[in-house]
Amino acid sequence: MAAGRSLAALVCVALVPLMTLAQPSGNPPVASASTDPASSSSSAVPGAVLNLPDAPAPNGPQSTAQNQTQTPSSSSQQTQNNDKNQQPQSGNAPTLGDLGFTPQQTLANAEMQKRLNERTHDLKMHQTFGLITAVPMCAAVLVAGGAKSKKNRSNPNGTVTGPSSSGVDLHVALGSGTAVLYGLTAYYAIAAPKIPGVKPKGAIKWHRDLVWIHAPGMVLTPILGAMALNQENNGERVHGIASAHSYVAWTTIAAYGVSIVAVSWPIHLKFWEKK
Amino acid sequence: MKFAAVLLLAVAPVMLHAQNQWVLTQSTLTWNVTHPMHEVAGTSHAAKGKGNCSAGQCDFLIAVPVNTFDSGDSNRDLHTLEVVRGAQYPMVIVRTHLAQAALDQPTTDADLEVQFAGQTAHYAHVPLHRTSHGNDVEITGTIPASCSDFKIDRPSFLTVPIRNEIPVNVDATWKPE
Repeated sequence: MAAGRSLAALVCVALVPLMTLAQPSGNPPVASASTDPASSSSSAVPGAVLNLPDAPAPNGPQSTAQNQTQTPSSSSQQTQNNDKNQQPQSGNAPTLGDLGFTPQQTLANAEMQKRLNERTHDLKMHQTFGLITAVPMCAAVLVAGGAKSKKNRSNPNGTVTGPSSSGVDLHVALGSGTAVLYGLTAYYAIAAPKIPGVKPKGAIKWHRDLVWIHAPGMVLTPILGAMALNQENNGERVHGIASAHSYVAWTTIAAYGVSIVAVSWPIHLKFWEKK
Repeated sequence: MKFAAVLLLAVAPVMLHAQNQWVLTQSTLTWNVTHPMHEVAGTSHAAKGKGNCSAGQCDFLIAVPVNTFDSGDSNRDLHTLEVVRGAQYPMVIVRTHLAQAALDQPTTDADLEVQFAGQTAHYAHVPLHRTSHGNDVEITGTIPASCSDFKIDRPSFLTVPIRNEIPVNVDATWKPE
């Protein structure tokens, strides 16, 4: 009798884990694809029935629509989405919770998404104004000759002819426009939200470092230009620090141009290649 | 003696089960973006994964935080994080279900379910190549992902958007647990 009880106990104990393993999952292990057919490329298989473990609820067809309407501020919805991700797929399928990620890594951060969106918006404005600024900047350099005093080449010791007022006005107008647009460009770069813990790396580092050249240049160039114009209007030859106006302007433009190229680097010109 | 037998019988199925578990030990996931003026790749080594096999069937799960992909340019990485809604949906999750016998094949066609940017896409018959390194198994392949699969607005440079295709190269080394 005792031996029978022992045998029964043995069988029971042996079968319990097997029965646990053999339990059917709460959800059938078949999921249908859930991408929006309109948005799927040929590589995806929308609508196909695949032999996959059950997808979490937010990723079903209904959840796709839900995700579309989700705004970054709806943090509770996002958190719920991630919580659902951690639900077991089936009795056997591993879950996100099994992998050992920290909650910080897996939980949605609506505030951060908002910051990223604002950052992108501000930097797009920065980029747009930055490219627009390059136009009057280059134009100001091209018309700079008209704002200069002319020496009589046949008689180096002779009088200096002053610049035409229209030439000066055009150069000043383009320079002023450049300064205003540059200010706007800088504003959006400074106003863009910073993302904590991210150190500048790669091409953006050059782009940022070059600010130390073209920003002082953008302040100095108009000041030196005004000094030079004042000296010319007084019938003097441009002298002293004012004579550095064109050198400072050229250095500023060069740094500005390199800054634009640097942020886009490396550039691979492949317009003629079709894959 | 009886106690030992009971214990052995009780633990045996668990041991058998344990032999059919796989864990991801090393991985390199790389997204590739193409633009007429740029070719960029972002790589992450931070993926974690598990595979459970029973009754001849295996379920694998790989997940990787979106913010661990590094393209070598912090500005680009932050912009990438923004366009793929990486703070709102911080994980890329890949699931697949395979017959256990397929694990021994040099090449397997896998049906993958990919959750990314708040969307789920399925990729059927993705060829995965298997290489053994002792006990470890290295799986390589490319997921033919695209921006439209995940409703990602394609970033543009000089008003020209990137190509829709953003194939993701996978190199994952698995170890039996």
